[in-house]
Amino acid sequence: MISVLLATIVDWEALLKAGIAALVAGVGVAFTYSLLIFGAARSLEASRDERSVEAAAFAVVAFVGFAATAAAIVAGIIVMTG
Amino acid sequence: MSEADLILYIVVATALAFDFTNGFHDTANVVATSISTRAMSPRVAVTYAAILNFAGAFISLEVAATVADEVVAADVITPTIVFAGLIGAIAWNLATWYFGLPSSSSHALIGGVVGSAFAAVGSEAVLSDGVIGKVLVPALIAPLLAFIVGGLAIVVCYRIVGRQRPGPVTRGFKLGQVASGGLLAVAHGTNDAQKTMGVIALALIASGDLAEGADPPTWVIVSAATAIALGTYIGGWRIIKTMGTRIIKMDAAQGFSAQGAGSAVILASSHFGYPLSTTHVISGAVMGAGAGKRLSAVRWGVAGNIVGAWLLTFPAAAAIGALTYGVTRIFGDGAVGPIVIVIVSVALIAAAFARRIRQGTPVPAG
Repeated sequence: MISVLLATIVDWEALLKAGIAALVAGVGVAFTYSLLIFGAARSLEASRDERSVEAAAFAVVAFVGFAATAAAIVAGIIVMTG
Repeated sequence: MSEADLILYIVVATALAFDFTNGFHDTANVVATSISTRAMSPRVAVTYAAILNFAGAFISLEVAATVADEVVAADVITPTIVFAGLIGAIAWNLATWYFGLPSSSSHALIGGVVGSAFAAVGSEAVLSDGVIGKVLVPALIAPLLAFIVGGLAIVVCYRIVGRQRPGPVTRGFKLGQVASGGLLAVAHGTNDAQKTMGVIALALIASGDLAEGADPPTWVIVSAATAIALGTYIGGWRIIKTMGTRIIKMDAAQGFSAQGAGSAVILASSHFGYPLSTTHVISGAVMGAGAGKRLSAVRWGVAGNIVGAWLLTFPAAAAIGALTYGVTRIFGDGAVGPIVIVIVSVALIAAAFARRIRQGTPVPAG
């Protein structure tokens, strides 16, 4: 009885969309930002040891993490204000 | 000035006072994580949060629309009903602050308005579909979702950076907390300031100054944004004085994950028009980030208190809202009832503050 009532009253589709958006944004930004830190830390370490190819490769990883994080934040703000 | 205008002014002033207390009450939630990990100094964190709370209030109007149109039937509501609801919310917030109980300003606000509308008009004034579907069910789900997102986020962070040297990693996450803390302040501003906008819009609709379904006027948005930002700033100075005794210790990665998870849940919910308890969401995200590292790090007692407060706040604020409406009716339909209630409320608040100051610093209810 209660479940039937809730099924008709609650817009589960909208709730699910909000939940998925929060999950993707929250975990996604944690992933991309961790990638940025990982890449930056390893790149610094490699350049200190004069391993320039490795340092450049990790710098690319850091850049990808930075770009993805920035893009996610900007996209979130655009969706919110749109 | 007509008596109807006077009542409307009282309602707007009471709503902005509520908004101010909301910012004052919730500052700790917004800034505590950044301060506890030393990502920002307390002064910078509080100022930053106040500015971004202000900015956040301009992002969206979905939550305001829910409060104005989907909780109570706007066509049978009067400004006095809105006033009584606001008093119910403020009284409950102050009572929980006084006794150190966790509470949600949002649930108190909606509960107060529902209670006074029910007392004034009856069950037909309450849009139960909106209350259950847009407020109560999302309010139950949101802290759990924040817990899961916070927990998964910290697991992801540790998996990626866990074997790196702690120095650069900590510095990196502290820097990240400047962004995630800012997003959290924006999220808080947008969801919480909009509730006040919605209530003022409801009063304006009731007084015939705003069409049903219309967006709140710009002066409502600016004043609600200003009130919550001022509350955040002033409440923050009080928090600074008591820092270091109540804040849960966490590392920078946990702080980043908790703030990111809280922001994501609040902003996504605001986009769909769900008026959440930001206090509960942030608490859920912090507990999730704690559990992701070590399950025993979670203060399960706090989780129990949140559930208890969730069950209690809505009916308690509704009962006080209904009682307040009954008291205003003793003085008739005019402005005398609201004026008497305001005078008595201010006297009670002053007495409560004086007593608390004599007893020592209170525990914030958030």
